[in-house]
Amino acid sequence: MFISILITIGIVAGIGGFLALLLIIAESTLANYGECTIMINEKKELKVKGGSSLLNILNNNKIFLSSACGGRGSCGFCKCKVIEGGGPLLPTETPFLEEDEKKNNVRLACQVKVKQDIKIKIPADIFAVQEFTGKVIKIQDLTYDIKEITIELTKPKEIEFQAGQFVQFVAPRYEKSRQPVTRAYSISSSPDNKDYIKLIIKKVPDGLCTTYIHEYLKEGDTVIFTGPFGDFIIKDTQNDMVFIAGGSGKAPIISMLEYLNTHGSKRRLVYFFGARTKKDLYLTELFEKLEKELKDFTYVPTLSQPEENSDWKGKTGYIMAYLKEYIKDGAETEAYLCGSPGMIDAVQKKLVAIKISEDNIFYDSFN
Amino acid sequence: MKQTPQEKKIQENMQPGVITLNGFLGNDNRHYQDIIDEDRRTLERLSITPGEIADRLQYFADLAWDSYDAPIIIDEFYQVEYKSYRGKIPCPFPHAGRYPKGTITLKNLNCGKEICWTPLNIHMIREHCFFEGKGSPHRIEPSEVMKILFK
Repeated sequence: MFISILITIGIVAGIGGFLALLLIIAESTLANYGECTIMINEKKELKVKGGSSLLNILNNNKIFLSSACGGRGSCGFCKCKVIEGGGPLLPTETPFLEEDEKKNNVRLACQVKVKQDIKIKIPADIFAVQEFTGKVIKIQDLTYDIKEITIELTKPKEIEFQAGQFVQFVAPRYEKSRQPVTRAYSISSSPDNKDYIKLIIKKVPDGLCTTYIHEYLKEGDTVIFTGPFGDFIIKDTQNDMVFIAGGSGKAPIISMLEYLNTHGSKRRLVYFFGARTKKDLYLTELFEKLEKELKDFTYVPTLSQPEENSDWKGKTGYIMAYLKEYIKDGAETEAYLCGSPGMIDAVQKKLVAIKISEDNIFYDSFN
Repeated sequence: MKQTPQEKKIQENMQPGVITLNGFLGNDNRHYQDIIDEDRRTLERLSITPGEIADRLQYFADLAWDSYDAPIIIDEFYQVEYKSYRGKIPCPFPHAGRYPKGTITLKNLNCGKEICWTPLNIHMIREHCFFEGKGSPHRIEPSEVMKILFK
């Protein structure tokens, strides 16, 4: 009796498995969706072979939606609006979508299979994003937990970006990571240098990508990134500019200041760099040089917890205490912030209190 | 142990190198559901709910957030420091929403004991009663939490 039950279960399981296998084979070999049209933003039309995911097809056509998991449906970054032809929403997508996104036809591009003509909507600036391959030509320790990486571009050989923008760096699968991971890092070099970029990267505890960069990446390695992204850029006015950034948040500020220097800016510029101790200061010589070269630039490094018996002669405490001293007219000032969310939140409140309009406070949320 | 595809996915997300470098299970070889069940029994014995613990963790996190990433003293004998980092991470339990990267370290100056948690920990405790596996860097031991956070 027991044996016959086992045999029956075995046969049913076997048939089920065989049918599932048959379906997979049929799907991959027999299913032919022919040529499909992807209409993007009601402007650009792509004729593609159906059968792959929307994310893959867009990538193959050099349209790079953000993705941190390589299309496995585990990061939820590759959202886009599918207006027509996307098929039903899948259970693999729903965990990543808010209710209003579901109502507005937002989908995960990696989970939408192109089987028919399809209409989608994506942000227009995505078209400027490219995938780059580069060679790491220099890795430099700037502090005990911050490195500067210089990447020479090999394909394509040049990049066009605006000072303040960021790229998405791809860390491959490595010893401590089960899959490639992608993270956003601001470019610290000037946009006038088109054949290489520099990134400034702080090690994040438990961080998959920063651990790769700090412990595994070597000079001579080939790396991949996409970009440029972001609207944290210099506004085209003659207002005074106040920069406030700590840690690796210095990266986009260097890019902006180098650009302003090269292009002969006459704007009044102040940069507050908040750090804990002298160990956290870096590239001080560069800012001293910029103070000499720029028409009106002041660098204000400030230590919140200088070591006892330190020979530090500069400002101490928090930069918020010094903002009013350096900002002449809040109405004529733009503030550019980059750093930890805690710092941005605290500084933003202080800037509003000293009459800088919220419309003139800029920072990158890396979304 | 038979698992649903959903449970398999959650167990996989908790491994090192998937969402975070060290994962969520530490050196605990138990299934995540067994960890939750045991911690839930501990909470019942202590007559406290996951929501109450999450509220207390959130209370310290909110006050420390306003100190601009510097250590502050809260309620006389809690030294708390919130270190925030750019970016957000998802929960290993699949659902919408991502949680800020950061660590909150609290030292009870009376007993000298210290615990460290993340914004994601607060969510996982409140919504999933998940305190992470033993040996995980952000494992919050329910019985210890009572001694450190409420006394």
